[in-house]
This record gives sequence, structure tokens and C-alpha cells, in this order.
Amino acid sequence: MKSKSKTIGHIAFWILVIVMFFYLVFPFYWTIVTSLKTESQLMMTPATFIPRDPVTHEAKASLINYKAVFSNATFLRGIKNSAIVSISVTLICLVVGAFVAFALGKLRFKGKTFSLYLILSMTMFPQISVLTGLYSVINRLHIDAIPAMILSYMLFTLPFTIWVMTSFFKGIPDSLLQAANVDGATNFQAFYMILLPLTVPAMVTTGLLAFIAAWNEYLFALTFTSIESSARTVPVAMALFSGTVARQEPFGEIMAASVVVTIPLLVLIYIFQKRLVEGLTAGAVKG
Amino acid sequence: MQMNSHRLQKKEQKLAMILLLPSFVILFLIAFYPLFTVFSTSLTDKKFASSRTVRFVGMDNYQKLLSMKVAELEPLLDASGKQMIDTTTQKPAYQDPIDILPREPYRYKAVSQFDFFGRHYVFAATDPEFIQSIGDTIVFTVLSVLLETILGMVIALVMIKNFPGRGGLRVAMLVPWAIPTAVSSRMWEWMFASTRVGVINVICQWFGWTNGQFPFLTAESTQVWAMIAIDVWKTTPFMALLLMAGLQTIPPGIYEAAKIDGCNAVQRFWKMTMPLVKDTLLVALVFRTLDALRVFDLFQIVFAQKRYSMASFAYYQLIDNKMMGYSSAASVVIFFIILLFIIIYTRISGGVANEK
Repeated sequence: MKSKSKTIGHIAFWILVIVMFFYLVFPFYWTIVTSLKTESQLMMTPATFIPRDPVTHEAKASLINYKAVFSNATFLRGIKNSAIVSISVTLICLVVGAFVAFALGKLRFKGKTFSLYLILSMTMFPQISVLTGLYSVINRLHIDAIPAMILSYMLFTLPFTIWVMTSFFKGIPDSLLQAANVDGATNFQAFYMILLPLTVPAMVTTGLLAFIAAWNEYLFALTFTSIESSARTVPVAMALFSGTVARQEPFGEIMAASVVVTIPLLVLIYIFQKRLVEGLTAGAVKG
Repeated sequence: MQMNSHRLQKKEQKLAMILLLPSFVILFLIAFYPLFTVFSTSLTDKKFASSRTVRFVGMDNYQKLLSMKVAELEPLLDASGKQMIDTTTQKPAYQDPIDILPREPYRYKAVSQFDFFGRHYVFAATDPEFIQSIGDTIVFTVLSVLLETILGMVIALVMIKNFPGRGGLRVAMLVPWAIPTAVSSRMWEWMFASTRVGVINVICQWFGWTNGQFPFLTAESTQVWAMIAIDVWKTTPFMALLLMAGLQTIPPGIYEAAKIDGCNAVQRFWKMTMPLVKDTLLVALVFRTLDALRVFDLFQIVFAQKRYSMASFAYYQLIDNKMMGYSSAASVVIFFIILLFIIIYTRISGGVANEK
């Protein structure tokens, strides 16, 4: 009797796992399938779960959408722009953020609690609320779209980086800093020669999260490139995607572009998944 | 010696200030100063990219954004004194709201009509689109956060069990989270296609729910639900991850003890698990709620100007209508709505912030 109910529980558990897996993965599977269909295969009703020939119904995939995407200059420029913006944001954020995190995590000074709360409050800042103001600032300083994006993305990446890195610096024993001081190193020397190398794991995690956030950002990118269309990033290019034929939305190409944009992120996630999970939870739970 | 430590402290203070400086310059430039200018611009009639002189208009923008009114509509009577029946809808006829709604200083537009204690009323606003965007965004936020909390909890409870393939599921879980919203919006837009080229219509037809032709994204009744479906898919994994982190801190021994004392699974969940993950849950709720309230990409990409979230409304006022002052006023309203939610959460949790 007992073992029977246990088996039922077991089966129910596995059904749950399979349902979850399908729920999480199916839309992306559907994207890949769609990207492998030609125009006429896309219009088949009902939609087929793998690409099939419209007449013979044999399985038949096509790479035509990928060819179109890789010869689309707007899209390729979008990838380049996104890479420039995201990498710059990540690097600046890590350098500037590490300074603050070291100060907040290891130094004694007046106004520490206040600074910490000020930065914490930033993580709740609605981006839309500063949009018009930010636009004025950028116009007044005559900043181009790409540097404007790099600067404005700090609004959400910097507070997060500081928050996670601070808790990491706090975890490093004080004695390390004191020993360096005794050996004649200044605080700043101790920071970049001894403590900084120790924080590399935290830097990798927060750097990745900042990179992904910057890669995915849409509101500022759309606004700041509204005049300078050559600076558009991938998400904006995706949203405004119009194929070579203006007849209807080229969903095959859009889905191929979606796959191309997502694959690098998935590879990064696969490599760093353990660290990412820790970083995400640490950042959010502490933040 | 004391002299020395005093000097050291001075040095630390100085170094700290130098280290903090770059970040605070950046944050001042992109957060605090812009926020201040948004407040001041919202009191003017400033136009975007225009050289026209800017006038101070006080609270005019806010008045135009937020004025609402409920007015009673008189029934229309025929010659014999009986209420007329609308020939097209077969419902009792009332006077046209346009005849009674004020036009000065801003024209009120009817949003909806309703009956209450046998009388007929019209609800009107000076900017129905903004009022509707607030309503839609709040409905969207409450429902999507509720659904993803429940689903996230189920997933987290499964994921903390040890089973073969857990690692694979964990990677699968990060897929929706990592896909840019701009991309997932287009993905789902295609899945929600209004004919059977869209997979959701195919599936719904299998179950006999639709005739395979349902326009999920253009039918007003399903628009917000479609947005919720996309958002729940995308952000449930994040919620599940946070809850997992919370669940992992619970020592397994206490469950064993409870089992021996005869607690069933449901009791164990409500009496032990929930109180122990309460703090994590609250933090996750705050994060997700604030994120959902400022939703932009989803609405802007899928609906453009067919239906607005609060953020996409402010965006279109700025970029398409060039109404910088008006858009700023909308942004300030959004800021305060979000602030209100933060205050409510801190009250409920007895001050999450204070514990830090």
C-alpha cells in the first residue's frame, strides 16, 4: 500500500518535471523551428511542429532566413553596436563599482551608511521617470548615441554591481588589509594588489550580469537612437525589423535573428551557470 | 599612537571620498539631476526639440492627465414620456455624454458607462488613455506577479529535490530569463498570431477553445492577458531562483521532526516552509512588482500605440507627440505610483530595509 502511493507520487513528480521543462523551453524551440521555415512553410495551417514541405509534408528545413539575416546590414551593425555598448558598460561599471565597493566594504569613513542607502535606493529607480531629463542632459552635453547609451545604462548596472561587490569585499578578512599596511603598502596599493585579485570570481559574476542587462536594454536604446539610426542596438533592430519584402512582417527572418541574438547569451549562461545563479540570488536577496 | 590612528583614519576618509567620487558623479549626472529636471519640466509646456519659449504652466499638465469625473446620464424619453430603446443595441437609451461633460479647461471624454441603483452613469477623464494605461499596468502587475509567485514556488520546490537531470532543468530555466524582452516579445507575437499559423491558436483549437482564428493581440478582452502570459513565462525563472535560494537555507532536519510529529505535506508547507522563506519572498515580490510597474518593451513592441503601459504612454508623449512637459508630468505620476508600492511593501514587511 505504502509503496504504491510512493510510485504514484514518483510518477506525478516526473510528469511535473516534464511539464515544467516543456513550458520553459517550448517558446524557444518554436522560435528555432520557425526560423528554419520558408515563407510558404510559415503560412501553412495548422502550423507544423517541425518544418515540412507544403506539398509532400516531408520534413524539410531551410537556412534561407539565416542567409537573409547575415546579409542584413542593419542587423549586423546592431550586433556590433550592442557589443561595443555592452562591453564598455561592463568594464566601466566594474572599475568604478570596485572602487566604491572597496570603500564601502573595507574603509571607515563618515557618510558610509548614507552612501549605501543612496545606492540601494537607485536599484528601485524607474527608468522611465528620468527619460526626459536624461535626454536633456545628453543633448546639452552633445553626447552621441553610443556614449549616451553607455553612460545611461550605468543607472541600472552600477548600483547592482556595487551592492554585490560590497558584500564580497566585506567577506574578505580585515587582517589581510592590516598586514599589507604593516608591510608599508598604502590602502590603495593593498586594494589593487591584494584585494582586487581575490574578488575576481565576484567580478566575473557581476560583470556577466551587467553585460546581459546591457545587451537586453531597450527603452534608452530606442530613445537615444531615435535620431541616430546607425547607432541602433540589437534589441532595437529586432523590434523595428522589416525584411526585404514590405508586404508583411518577415517572421521567419525575425525568428532567425532572435536565435542569433540569443545563442551567445545561452553559451555564456551554460559556461557560467553556477556562478550566475549564485550572483543573481545574492544580488537580489541582498539588494 | 593615538595620533597615528587618527591620521590613518583621516587618510581612509580621504581615500574613500576619492573612490566614491566617480560613481557619484555618474549617478548625479544620470539619475538625480535628470529626476530634478523632470520635476521642473513637468510644470512647463516645453516642447521636445523646439526653440519655442517655454512657459510655466503650474499644475496644468497634471490636471489634464488626471482629471476624472462621474456624471449621471438622464434617460431619453419619447413623446409619451417612456424611455426610448436604442434600435441597434435594444437597450434603454440615455443622453449622449458629450452633451453634459465639461469642455473647459480640458474636454472630458467618456471612458465607460455603468448602472448603479437604477441610475445610469458615465465615467469620464480628460486623458482616457493615461487613465487606462495606469489601470492596465496595475492589473498586469498584480496578476503577473501573483501567477509567477505561485509558479515560481512550484518550480523552486521541485528544483530543490535531488533528481537526475536537475542540472539540465536549471539551464533550461535560465533560457527565458536570458532572452532579451525585445526578442521574446517578437517570439510570442508570432505564437499569438491570429490564424492557425500561430501555435497558440493551433493548441486552443485542439481543445476546442477557439475556432483557430482568435486574434489574441487585437481583441481587447485578451490583450492584457497575452501580456501577462509573456511576462510570466519570462520572469517566473527569476522568481524560482530567488525562492530556491531561500528554500536552501532551511535545515532539512526540521522537516523530519515534523513528519514524525504527524504533520502532512500541506501543513509542513504552510506552517514551516512559508514562514521560513517569507523574507526572501518579500524581497522577490518587491523586485518583480517594481519591474512589472515600469514595463515598457513588451507593450511598446507588441502594441505600439494600440494600448499603453504607463511607461510606453510617457514614451510616446515624448517621442511622437514631442510633449516634453506633458510626458514629464506622466513620468512624475509613475514615479509616485511606484513609490507608493515601495511604501506599502515596507509597511507590510515591517521594514525590510531596516533589517539591513
